Amino acid sequence: MSERQGFRPAFRRWRADRPFWGGALLALGGAWILLTMKASLKVVLQVGMQGLAGYLLPALMVVLGLLVLFNPAQRLFYSITGVLVSLGTWLTSNLGGFFVGLLLGVVGSCLAFGWLPDQEPRRSRRERRKEAATAP
Amino acid sequence: MASSSDVTSSSDNTPENPESGSTRRGRVRARRVAVMAVPATLVAGTLAVLTAEGALGVQFAISGMPFTVTATELNGTGFEQFGGLDHMAPGSPNEGDTGGQVLVVTSAIKNATLTKLCQSVDLGGTNLLITAGAGKDKVTATDLTTDSTELSGDAAFGNIEIGNDASTLTKAGVKGPIGVFSQQADTVFIKDLRQTNYATTAGVFKLPGLKLRFSSSGC
Repeated sequence: MSERQGFRPAFRRWRADRPFWGGALLALGGAWILLTMKASLKVVLQVGMQGLAGYLLPALMVVLGLLVLFNPAQRLFYSITGVLVSLGTWLTSNLGGFFVGLLLGVVGSCLAFGWLPDQEPRRSRRERRKEAATAP
Repeated sequence: MASSSDVTSSSDNTPENPESGSTRRGRVRARRVAVMAVPATLVAGTLAVLTAEGALGVQFAISGMPFTVTATELNGTGFEQFGGLDHMAPGSPNEGDTGGQVLVVTSAIKNATLTKLCQSVDLGGTNLLITAGAGKDKVTATDLTTDSTELSGDAAFGNIEIGNDASTLTKAGVKGPIGVFSQQADTVFIKDLRQTNYATTAGVFKLPGLKLRFSSSGC
């Protein structure tokens, strides 16, 4: 029991210093596309390089999503690559897993891109405006 | 607007006043998200429009879930057909009473042109419906390979060879297992095509007039 209580705040702290939802959604999108493909490898090899790309792109999405989670310092590179790869799956992998996987991937990449570490706690807009008016 | 100061403060990753204590944590900043989200949405929209105009080909590879394809006309060159067994992933929820194996007819067409293509996937309760090629531009597919459990329509073949061994097929570049009955033809024309497919792959699919929607009824 005490282990559990220790785990949740630790997880929250771990989540606070990385773009958690960005990485999670990107990896989830890739996994969903792979799920809709699921074609046997034999058929893919018959189709050739193009068929292989259909697997490569969603697999790359999963890897990039996990990298965003476990190496958040490089999130800019991962999220830019992630958004390009997600958009590429429209062409290669069942219209981006019937659009669902593509949407998850793009939203995840954007969240990872927009994330910044070590921010002020949220304040209301009125408060910020007042401060900006009085500052200079 | 105060946007310029906000953007510069967020892009150099350093907080403006670093004395605010233990509540500090990473946050998603809306403006930074917009920097990527806006171009990404534009690109996604462009891709969808180009596909719907038939200017851009897309690839399909589906398997493990049954789906229906109908078309009023199919015109193809380089046709092969042979029987086979499709295996599901172990423990697949679609397994049912089949023991994880489905007897299928594999059809391969080198180049196909389809009129009024309709494709529906049963997602349990609701159907995902893809229609294309209803206008004057037709759907074209290259290296179209389908594993079907059911295939119906009025077919006409040109230069058909029936009774080949599946491992000696040449017309569409796909080879079947050795010792299996097969047929191949130079040209194929099928009217009122209806297939229940188990797996399909297409090298390039061009879908002019693409519409993607959810519906309670299939094709």
